[in-house]
Amino acid sequence: MLAIEKISKRFRAGNYGVRDLSLEVKSGVIGLLGPNGAGKTTFMQMIATITRPTSGRILFHGQDVAKRPNELRRQLGYLPQDFGVYDNLTATEFLTYFAALKGVRSKKRVMEMLESVNLHGVANRIVGGFSGGMKQRLGIAQALINDPELVIVDEPTAGLDPEERVRFRNVLSEIGFGKLVILSTHIVSDVESIATEIAVMKNGALLTMAAPETLLRTCEGHVWKAVVSSEQFDQLRTTLKISSAVRKPDGVHIRFVGPSPAIAASAAEPELEDAFLYLMNFAETTAPAA
Amino acid sequence: MTASFSRIGAIIGADFRIRFRRVSTVIVFLLLSAFAYVWIPAPSTGRTLIQINGQRAIYNSGAIGMGTASLGMIFVGLFGYYVISNAIRRDVITRCGMIAASTPMRSGEYLFGKFLGNLTFLATFVCGFMLSSMVMLLVRGEARIEPLVFMEQYLLLTPPALVFVSAVAVLFESIPWLAGKFGDVIYFFLWSAVMGLVVANETTHGAINWVRCFDFTGFGFMIDQMQRTLQTHSVSIGASNFDPTKPTILFPGLTLTREWIVPRFISLLAPLALLPVAVLFFHRFDPVRTKQVSGKGRRNWLGKIQNLFKPLSRRAVALLTMPGRGGSFLGAMWIDALLTLTLLPFAFLAFVAITITSIFIPPAATLPVVFAALAVIISDVVTRDRRAGTLASVRAIPRLRENYVWWKLGSTLLLSFLLCAGPLLRTITHGGVALGALICGIVLVASTATALGILTANPKTFIVGFLTFWYVVVNDKGASPLLDFAGFYGRFTWATIALYVCVSVAAIAIAQIFYRTRLART
Repeated sequence: MLAIEKISKRFRAGNYGVRDLSLEVKSGVIGLLGPNGAGKTTFMQMIATITRPTSGRILFHGQDVAKRPNELRRQLGYLPQDFGVYDNLTATEFLTYFAALKGVRSKKRVMEMLESVNLHGVANRIVGGFSGGMKQRLGIAQALINDPELVIVDEPTAGLDPEERVRFRNVLSEIGFGKLVILSTHIVSDVESIATEIAVMKNGALLTMAAPETLLRTCEGHVWKAVVSSEQFDQLRTTLKISSAVRKPDGVHIRFVGPSPAIAASAAEPELEDAFLYLMNFAETTAPAA
Repeated sequence: MTASFSRIGAIIGADFRIRFRRVSTVIVFLLLSAFAYVWIPAPSTGRTLIQINGQRAIYNSGAIGMGTASLGMIFVGLFGYYVISNAIRRDVITRCGMIAASTPMRSGEYLFGKFLGNLTFLATFVCGFMLSSMVMLLVRGEARIEPLVFMEQYLLLTPPALVFVSAVAVLFESIPWLAGKFGDVIYFFLWSAVMGLVVANETTHGAINWVRCFDFTGFGFMIDQMQRTLQTHSVSIGASNFDPTKPTILFPGLTLTREWIVPRFISLLAPLALLPVAVLFFHRFDPVRTKQVSGKGRRNWLGKIQNLFKPLSRRAVALLTMPGRGGSFLGAMWIDALLTLTLLPFAFLAFVAITITSIFIPPAATLPVVFAALAVIISDVVTRDRRAGTLASVRAIPRLRENYVWWKLGSTLLLSFLLCAGPLLRTITHGGVALGALICGIVLVASTATALGILTANPKTFIVGFLTFWYVVVNDKGASPLLDFAGFYGRFTWATIALYVCVSVAAIAIAQIFYRTRLART
C-alpha cells in the first residue's frame, strides 16, 4: 500500500529531519518509536503530504504522492501532534466541518463517528470545554470520518491520563483491521499491545523495522536484572542504561541493557522497553543526520 | 464542483460561528453600533452628522445613510483588517490547518473560503451598523424613513471596501513576511495611501481617470458626488459643529451616475485579483514555512530591531526590578508591569522616547500619539498568560488566583503611569484639573484594557475599541468637552473626569464579576 523510497528532508539550516529513509508497508498498525527529535513527526508529515521531501519518493498504491497528492489525501486520516480544536464549535459542527473538507456529506456518518468515539452524549456541547482525552477522541473521529485506508496519528496519547490512554489504544486497535495505521510515540507501552510492526527511528534515520517478537530477539542476552542498594542505584543511574527500577524492601530491583553486565547481575527475559533502550544506545545508526 | 462549493461553504460557516460566538466580537459589534448614537447628535446640541459650509444637512435617509456609511467604511477599512487578519493564523496555531491540508481540499478553495468568511463577517458588521443607524433615524430623523435610499448609500460606498479588506487580509496572511506585525503596519500605510490617492485625484476633479478604479474606500466617489450636488468642497461628516443661523440644507443622498458605474465595478472586482497571488504564496500549513508565520522561526525585521534594544532594556529592567522583590501584592504588580518591558523592548524604547519628547514639547502636542502607543503596548498584558499557557502557573501563586483582575489592573496602571511619567510631570504645572484629566485618561485606558482582556481573552478587542474611540476624539478636536477624556485639547471639565471615572469603575466591576463567576464554575 505504502512504499517509501529513500526520502530525506533537509531544512534551510542544513540539518536533516529525516535522511534516506526507506520502508514498505501493507496493512496493520505500525508503531513508530523514537525519542523526541528523532524525526518521527517530519516523517509522518511527509507521508500526510503536509511537507514535501527534499529527495526520495513516497508511493501510495504505486502512485507518486508528490505528483498526485489527492490520490492519497482521499484515503488519508491524519491527526497531528498537539492537535487543537476550534473552541467555539460544538463537536457535531467541528466534525461536520472536516467531513465537508473531505467530501463526506452524510450527517449520519458524523453521528456514527461521534458514537464510535463515545462522544455522542456531548455532540452539541462546545468543544472548548472538553478534556484532553475528549479532544483527542474528537481528533481521531475526524481522522476516520472518510473511512480512510491510511491513518496517521502523531503522538496521540501525549498528555492523556492512563484511563484515556487505554481507551485511545483500544480505539486504534479496533480501526487497524484492513487499514494501515501509523502511530508515532516515544512511549513503548502505547504500541506494544497493538502494533503489528514497530519501526524505530533515531536522528532522522530508521534503525529497524520488525514485528515486536523480532525486535525482542535483537536484545536477547543483553538484558540484565539485579538488586542494588539505594546508594548504589544513585551511582549506577548515570553509568547503566536502566529500563526500569522498582524500590522494594530488599533494595532497588533494576533492569538494564548492555552487551555485558558491568555489575553482578542475572540475564532477564527481554521486554519491548528493553529492546527500544538497547536499540537507542547500542545499535548503529545506518544513516546519521548531519 | 459540488464538492468545492461544499468545502467553501463549510469554511465560511465554521469561520462565522467561531467569530460570532466570541465575546470579543459581540463587544466590538455593540461598540460599533453604539457609535451610531455618538455620530448622529441631536441638532439641539449645536452639532450635526453632516455640515456643508456651516449649514446643517437635514436628517433624512440620504444624509444619514451616506454619513454613517462613509464613517462605517472608514472603520471597516482601518480596523476591520486587524479584526479579520487571523483566520489562517488560527488554523496554524490550532493545527487544524494541517488536517485541512491533508484533505483533497485545494489551496484555492481554502483561501477563497477564508476570503468569503472575512467578507461575510465584515458585511454582517456593516449591516448591524446600518440597522442601528436606521434606528437613529427613527429617533432623531427629520424626514420619513426611506429604507431603500438608506441601503442604497451603503451599497454604493461599502462593498469595494469590504472586498478589498477581506482580500488583502487573505493575501497578507499567505505571505510569511506580511503575516505578522509588519503586515499590520504595511496595511495601515496601504489603506492611507489608497485613500489619499483618490481624495487627491478628486480635488483635481478626477484628473487621472484610472485612479477612480481603485477607489476602494468610496471617498473619491463621495467627494465627486458632493461637489456636483452641493457645489462645494467644504463638507464635514461625523458629529461636527454647524452655524445655527444658517438655513438647513437638503441632501438627497448619493446616486450612481453613468461615469461612475465602471469605476465602482472595477473597484469592487479588482481586489479579487489578489487571491490568485495569495494562492501562489500560500504555505498550505507546511511547518517549515508556517514557523515563520507563527513567529517561531527566523525573526522578522521588527524582531531584529527589538533584539537590538534587548541588552539595554534588560539592564534597565534589572534595576527597576529591585522594588518588586519581597513577595508583596504590589511587588507582584510591579514585576508583571516590568515583564512587558522585558518581552517588548519596543515598549522600553517608547518610554525613553516619550520621556525625552515631553521635556521639549508640551504634552498637549504629544498626548494623542502617546495614548495610541500606550494602548498598543498594554493591550496584551491581561491576555498574554493565557496565550503563553502560563495561566495555571500564575494562578498557583498565592493571592493571584482570587485577585487576578486587581493584579492585572495594578500591573497595567503601573506600566501606564511609568510610560506617561514625562507628560505627567509636565502637566503638574498646568494645574489640578489638567493633571486630574490626564490621570483619569490613564486610568480609563488601563481599566478598559484590563476589563476587555478579562472578558474576551483577546487583545484585539481593546485595540479596536480604543482606537475607534481615539479616532473619534482626535477628529472631534476638543469640540465636545465630554470626549476630551485625557485632556488632549484642554476642553475637559470636572464632568468629563467624573464620567470617565465612572466608566473605569464600571469596567473593572464587570470584569471582576465576570472573572469571579467563571472562577466559581471551574
